[in-house]
Amino acid sequence: MKTVIEIKNLQKTYTETAVEVKAVNGVSLIFEEGEFTAIVGPSGCGKTTLLNLLGGLDAPTSGQVIIDGIDISTLSSRKIIDFRMKNIGFVFQAYNLIPVLTAKENAEFIMQLQNKSKVERETRIAELFKAIGIEGKEDIRPSRLSGGQQQRVAVARALASKPKFILADEPTANLDSVATSELLDIMRKLNEEENITFIFATHDQRVIDRARRVVYLEDGVVTKDELKE
Amino acid sequence: MITISSVTLAVVLAIFMRSFQEGSYGIMVETAVGKFSGYVQVHQKDYWNDKTIDNGMVVNEQLIKTIKNIDEINGVNLRLESFSLASNKMNTKGTMIMGVEPAKEDAMIGLKNKIVKGEYINANDQSIILGSGLAKYLDIDVGDTLVLLGQGHWGQSAINAYPVKGIVKIPSPVLDKQVIFMPLLLAQSYFSFENGVTSVVVIFEDPDYTEEVSAAINAVIDTTQYQAMTWQKMTPELIQQIEGDKAGGIIMIAILYMIIAFGVFGTVLMMTEERKREFAVMVSIGMQKKKLMLISFYETLMMNLVGIIAGILLTIPIVYYYKVNPITLTGEMAESMEQFGIEAVLPTVLDFNIFLNNTLIIIVITGIAAIYPLFSILKMNVIKSLRG
Repeated sequence: MKTVIEIKNLQKTYTETAVEVKAVNGVSLIFEEGEFTAIVGPSGCGKTTLLNLLGGLDAPTSGQVIIDGIDISTLSSRKIIDFRMKNIGFVFQAYNLIPVLTAKENAEFIMQLQNKSKVERETRIAELFKAIGIEGKEDIRPSRLSGGQQQRVAVARALASKPKFILADEPTANLDSVATSELLDIMRKLNEEENITFIFATHDQRVIDRARRVVYLEDGVVTKDELKE
Repeated sequence: MITISSVTLAVVLAIFMRSFQEGSYGIMVETAVGKFSGYVQVHQKDYWNDKTIDNGMVVNEQLIKTIKNIDEINGVNLRLESFSLASNKMNTKGTMIMGVEPAKEDAMIGLKNKIVKGEYINANDQSIILGSGLAKYLDIDVGDTLVLLGQGHWGQSAINAYPVKGIVKIPSPVLDKQVIFMPLLLAQSYFSFENGVTSVVVIFEDPDYTEEVSAAINAVIDTTQYQAMTWQKMTPELIQQIEGDKAGGIIMIAILYMIIAFGVFGTVLMMTEERKREFAVMVSIGMQKKKLMLISFYETLMMNLVGIIAGILLTIPIVYYYKVNPITLTGEMAESMEQFGIEAVLPTVLDFNIFLNNTLIIIVITGIAAIYPLFSILKMNVIKSLRG
């Protein structure tokens, strides 16, 4: 298996408040290609912070985040944005689709940033919308889609640029059980058939049940790293 | 839409207010100057300091020819002005007698159209027309005879009775209550001043060239004997009034611009705060902040442009309407204007410069406001903004 992400002794300390908070405290992990991993733990355990550090949205206080041999914590903000565009897909809890764009425009937005041709964009979006079961919703704006449909568009957006891995922060938190189940089926299928790496930050048992690897986090420290299969 | 509307409103308010301000100065100058004294007059040298008929001049054909030879000048109107007592029945009032060339005077100040009763005078008439305010005071009507008593040239008695041919409504209420027009020849006869005039009113197209025309005349006439004067020199009190009003106007327009600036900035601020999450999403999925800033600036610029164009398109018909149908003032405001001899109306002026200047000011204001989103994006904490 090829290593996609390696984190070494990662620390993130917040000093904005009177009390110093160590959100991530010396975490070292390796994520390999094709993983379907859930980072779990109670609220405030550092799941989202760890995910933000993996995605380069936040900078660590110390330690390294190595992706494809590059320590992204040393990159300039400009280079890290560029790195994210090329390598990382994000799925957020609140979908975070751009309200003035249609479903298709939202999904292909990142491809436009990558200067992909129109034909390439159209083909990829058609392929993705079919794969995630929202064909026919291309020209609809987010406000007219259900929560489950919006999150599917968010998954399509995350996949559009063919990233090395997808980081999903509580992707099912706002979905009902049917929509959650359907979304997880799609993600698992993409993982199995296209070998796409998914890393979730979640406390949703339904996600944990489907994950092949579960990393338990408590007070910023990994307490258990379990491979289920 | 809110931003566009706010810019549109800003443009409409700024241009509308400036058009009214400039329109009010215009009406002051037009009523008191353009429609009465003319923008440039030539007098005997001492006349303006001591406006008696004795300081008038005998019409000098060479002088008239010299003035008319100047390129910008279309012609001259000769006037003989002095004062007399006018009496009818038991009413007597001090009046201003204006001996004029009726056809030319009509062409200049449109007297014929202002006749409210009777007829306009002709050059060889032996009759007069008078202001409606004066006619009312003297209780005189068309066909009645008005007795005039005054001092003629070199102390001669001026006394005669003339039939009233018409009553004219003069826009300036002060003048309307004191002016009597009579043909120049009749006035010269009444004041015993053969070929005498007190003013040569110079007619030219563009009031903006007043100074140039006056200077050109003074350059070719014998300035030891005559002098050309601009309306600014003849009526300094009007200039003072306009300057005083302008100072107040500048404060008003400054307050308006401040309100506009806060309004535009408020909407841009609101728009930016509302879209912070959207901006954060774009940056998180790989859009460079600089690119986002550029797009945001371009977007704000386009919205401002649409707002400005909409504002201009909206303002033109409104300004035009009030130019054609000025607001008629009433009450104390009207009285104070009338005391200065200014018609109590508030027209707008459809001036390209007002549109241009105010549009540029709004562009500067909106341009400054457009910087805020750029700062906001530059300083944006993506994680915090994603949380919303």
